Amino acid sequence: MSFSSAKYVLRETLSSVKRNLWLSIASVMTVMVSLIILGFSAFFLANTSNVAQSFESQVEISAFVHTNVPETQVQALETKIKAMPGVSSVVLVTKAQGLAQFGQSLGKAGGNLVSDLAGTNPLPDKFTIKATDPRRVQTLADQLRQFTELKSVRYGQGVVDRLLQFTRWLRWMGAGVIIAFGAAAVVLISINIKMNVFSRRREIQIMKLVGASNWFIRWPFLVEGLFLGLAGGILAAILVGTGYNWLAGYVSSTLAFLPVVRSTWLFWQVQTSLLVLGMVIGAAGSALSLRKFLNV
Amino acid sequence: MIQLTNVSKIYPNGAKALADVSLRIGKGEFVFLVGPSGAGKSTLIRLLYREEHPSRGLVSFNGQNLVRMKEREVPFLRRKIGVIFQDFKLLPRKTVRENVGFALEVLGLQRHEVAVRAEKALELVGLTKKLKAFPHQLSGGEQQRVCVARAIVNDPALLMADEPTGNLDPDTSWEIMDLLHNINKKGTTVVMATHAKDIVDQMKKRVVAIEQGRIARDDEKGGYGYEL
Repeated sequence: MSFSSAKYVLRETLSSVKRNLWLSIASVMTVMVSLIILGFSAFFLANTSNVAQSFESQVEISAFVHTNVPETQVQALETKIKAMPGVSSVVLVTKAQGLAQFGQSLGKAGGNLVSDLAGTNPLPDKFTIKATDPRRVQTLADQLRQFTELKSVRYGQGVVDRLLQFTRWLRWMGAGVIIAFGAAAVVLISINIKMNVFSRRREIQIMKLVGASNWFIRWPFLVEGLFLGLAGGILAAILVGTGYNWLAGYVSSTLAFLPVVRSTWLFWQVQTSLLVLGMVIGAAGSALSLRKFLNV
Repeated sequence: MIQLTNVSKIYPNGAKALADVSLRIGKGEFVFLVGPSGAGKSTLIRLLYREEHPSRGLVSFNGQNLVRMKEREVPFLRRKIGVIFQDFKLLPRKTVRENVGFALEVLGLQRHEVAVRAEKALELVGLTKKLKAFPHQLSGGEQQRVCVARAIVNDPALLMADEPTGNLDPDTSWEIMDLLHNINKKGTTVVMATHAKDIVDQMKKRVVAIEQGRIARDDEKGGYGYEL
């Protein structure tokens, strides 16, 4: 494309936007609304999967040591458990710590209880073990039961299964929401572009009859679609960005137990995707809708 | 320059527009196509700028076979042919000057040259006062003249007109005819479909009469030949 035709394309695009101002605004709005929905779905997906992960990471195994096992052996056991595959963390809660915690958890009455016990400690040493993958908790527990030093190994058997079911569902729902709204966005935008091109099919036909090549007609449409898509993308990115920041702040101040994703990386990733998507959908949509009208 | 050999055209809806038409038009000729409405005049013109394909037969322009021409070569054909359309076919969202200039824009000319030449063409048709008007702000006759200006602006080798005086008063009709006549004298081939009896009778040019898709008559310096 030569310099003078590049200038032609830009002039043509600008004058087309100016002379079809309302249709252009409608296109920008359509792209914007679709991308806002898509942007929020992306954040929704990120958050559901984050909630699922944080629930899963709370799954832990409690392993209690026989009270007669000496301290050195307990420490040796700790290193052995740490070396096991699939173990992400091991925390040793000794008898003394356990008793102190127990006392605290009872509040005022606890202080009396601990002093009443007068130096005797009925609690065993306890390991709190986390698995790298919550689905491996069961096998890990079975392996732990092989250690003779351990009196009992416990994890929330039924609870873990149900939790895993729940988190799986949560993830599917997040993915489902983004797919559904993504499809809706594509349909909305393509209908709008088709209407735009359809309303100008007579112009396209005339241009062809006067000797315009397909690319001569396509370029201005492409660039127009690109600009309108980009405009919609920018608006959507601004609204989604401020909206999400506000919402995240609101949720974490009122529903503190819900972990909210506030990663700047994710934030900018979503923002740039919205811009790029806007441009690509705008340009590609125009080019594709033009196709059948160019055969004159 | 133009050669039709045994050309038939049947539209998808079954309408037979042309039946076994053979016609030769040489370079620099001025030819009237006459005949009743629906006889096939417009179809013949459409075949030549490749808006339609013939169902059978051969159409060639300057030795190029239009039947086998590739889609991407069609724009280059159309740039050599100026067409004055019956329904004007002006771009509704472009001004008069932009409409005329469009035929030059497609050639990739500089903006300045486009403007200068478009204005020159509009001067020839007497429309210099409405350069920035949009088609819907013009009368039928003015739109017709814009269409004429666009057809001649890039000095085409062939100028085809489908009822170019159909919407004009007699004076303006003659102005347009003078214009076509002058363009023809400069060497451009002109093919014009018309119902204007007095114009055909006075111009004393070649007349090809088409009836029911066939060539009924082909006279050098002929007359309209139909009673109105």
